[in-house]
Amino acid sequence: MAENGESSGPPRPSRGPAAAQGSAAAPAEPKIIKVTVKTPKEKEEFAVPENSSVQQFKEAISKRFKSQTDQLVLIFAGKILKDQDTLIQHGIHDGLTVHLVIKSQNRPQGQSTQPSNAAGTNTTSASTPRSNSTPISTNSNPFGLGSLGGLAGLSSLGLSSTNFSELQSQMQQQLMASPEMMIQIMENPFVQSMLSNPDLMRQLIMANPQMQQLIQRNPEISHLLNNPDIMRQTLEIARNPAMMQEMMRNQDLALSNLESIPGGYNALRRMYTDIQEPMLNAAQEQFGGNPFASVGSSSSSGEGTQPSRTENRDPLPNPWAPPPATQSSATTSTTTSTGSGSGNSSSNATGNTVAAANYVASIFSTPGMQSLLQQITENPQLIQNMLSAPYMRSMMQSLSQNPDLAQMQNPDTLSAMSNPRAMQALMQIQQGLQTLATEAPGLIPSFTPGPPGSTGSGGPTGPTVSSAAPSETTSPTSESGPNQQFIQQMVQALAGANAPQLPNPEVRFQQQLEQLNAMGFLNREANLQALIATGGDINAAIERLLGSQPS
Amino acid sequence: MYREILTTKQTSFHCGVKVPRNFRLLEELEEGQKGVGDGTVSWGLEDDEDMTLTRWTGMIIGPPRTIYENRIYSLKIECGPKYPEAPPFVRFVTKINMNGVNSSNGVVDPRAISVLAKWQNSYSIKVVLQELRRLMMSKENMKLPQPPEGQCYSN
Repeated sequence: MAENGESSGPPRPSRGPAAAQGSAAAPAEPKIIKVTVKTPKEKEEFAVPENSSVQQFKEAISKRFKSQTDQLVLIFAGKILKDQDTLIQHGIHDGLTVHLVIKSQNRPQGQSTQPSNAAGTNTTSASTPRSNSTPISTNSNPFGLGSLGGLAGLSSLGLSSTNFSELQSQMQQQLMASPEMMIQIMENPFVQSMLSNPDLMRQLIMANPQMQQLIQRNPEISHLLNNPDIMRQTLEIARNPAMMQEMMRNQDLALSNLESIPGGYNALRRMYTDIQEPMLNAAQEQFGGNPFASVGSSSSSGEGTQPSRTENRDPLPNPWAPPPATQSSATTSTTTSTGSGSGNSSSNATGNTVAAANYVASIFSTPGMQSLLQQITENPQLIQNMLSAPYMRSMMQSLSQNPDLAQMQNPDTLSAMSNPRAMQALMQIQQGLQTLATEAPGLIPSFTPGPPGSTGSGGPTGPTVSSAAPSETTSPTSESGPNQQFIQQMVQALAGANAPQLPNPEVRFQQQLEQLNAMGFLNREANLQALIATGGDINAAIERLLGSQPS
Repeated sequence: MYREILTTKQTSFHCGVKVPRNFRLLEELEEGQKGVGDGTVSWGLEDDEDMTLTRWTGMIIGPPRTIYENRIYSLKIECGPKYPEAPPFVRFVTKINMNGVNSSNGVVDPRAISVLAKWQNSYSIKVVLQELRRLMMSKENMKLPQPPEGQCYSN
């Protein structure tokens, strides 16, 4: 009121200091206006035409902020700006500020998107066999349901939800853990029709940014993708699992032949490093490692890698099947029903080995592995070469440092593993438990507190178990710390059946969680999710945590 | 047209000085458009033609490292005739699970939110929004399970 006399030249809100701004800002006439875009972290000024649409504005913003336009959310005066609106419509004039939120993909979100995600993953992981089997003949990856197609498919389905990568990896693990499900999916007419459309498949692959990078580096891949004949052939193969196995076997044989040529091994290694490694590393985040890691370890020992590293083998069931652990402890306790402490510990050790045995057995049952074994028996030199490869050596080193593996080195474990009858018993146990799982899944979560007790009440596992139940009730409580943890992990893994990726994430990442806490990331849940998604890698987890916040 | 009026007034939120309601609201309108603050809240008139400057929309960006992270919450704020002597009515449009917010209609309980319960005429819409955002970061709220994103209250 006192300053009634202060008139405004340009019809803009302008106070004392702002007057300079008012005069600096051009009057409404010229088309270009300066709008400030503010995120919680930074602030940039943009000069845009006054009559531009929000969509155009977003495009300019996306370049400066290095994000996709659909990740940008613009807010002005408490309203979200929709793409088809114009700046004028919202009253955005020169000198005003618009708020920006950049959405990241891995936002924690409601589970409502999960069902659609599941459908998406099913179709896309069906597409993956094709993407792997054809193009690079060196890519004879018998375990190779690589994730590339999966990633591409999902992104093309526009699912930008939840713990994106975790959901996806969970889905794919579940899928790969169950060959029946895989068969069902392949037979699904929708999937088949999708597979029979080479253009669609090509788009799916191309949509994957990692694939795109790979293609840039290796133009041959793009040739392959673009060649319709090859696409058609691979689609045929993908649709017909038997044929695919045949192809895989052929490729394996061809590989082994290559190997026997002098200098052939080196050539193979080169091919692997150049082409396959990036592809496999591209899958690393989800699947926690190169499938060949498990190949090496499986042929050398009974599979010591953490379950998360082995998920991309298709028909392999859960590596550390928990029920064998509890069942074996039940059955072995019948023999040591006097309840001696040593009996318990050996039963626990056996429990661990059961899982190992099961895993080994299941590994051997995959067709890819069978062909590999075939080659191995024919050519012992092959194993030698594989193991002596430099990359293999580094993998072995990291494996040996794996704390979980230490359990495998338990002498009891080893001796039990070499006992064929024990292995057989364990197999039976596993089968029994699987039956139990299907018949009374509700019992399984209760395994952790009193495994044999619930098993006994469950019933279908056999008289020995139920009779062992009462005597065994006390024994779990006397289990040593790490063993119990291990069994818990296995139980959880079985109970989960879908997410065998981490035995017990909280326990596993205990150290990393503490570190993150010390660094100031106080949200334990977010930390855990990030650690799970990055497989325990602290740096990546930190980036994830930082990247997903607006501030 | 409001802008001409705005230019005639200097800002000051001195306690004790009774500022005419419309002037205050115009000032807040300007602040909302200029993006004063740290960019985590935004507010503006719901309808630009609203002469009474009563209905406002607000936006809160969920604070990081909480369950509200990366979500954008929309609110409706109603500044009654006694504003700024009386606090505004605040209501969430986007569904949220938070102490002090009615879970069926999103109304913010003025007795539960300290700035509303102990309202002063120097407070503003910005203060209310920032306080709500700060409450999202409190221990009692930061981990509450939230409804799926994008859902709104029906009324």
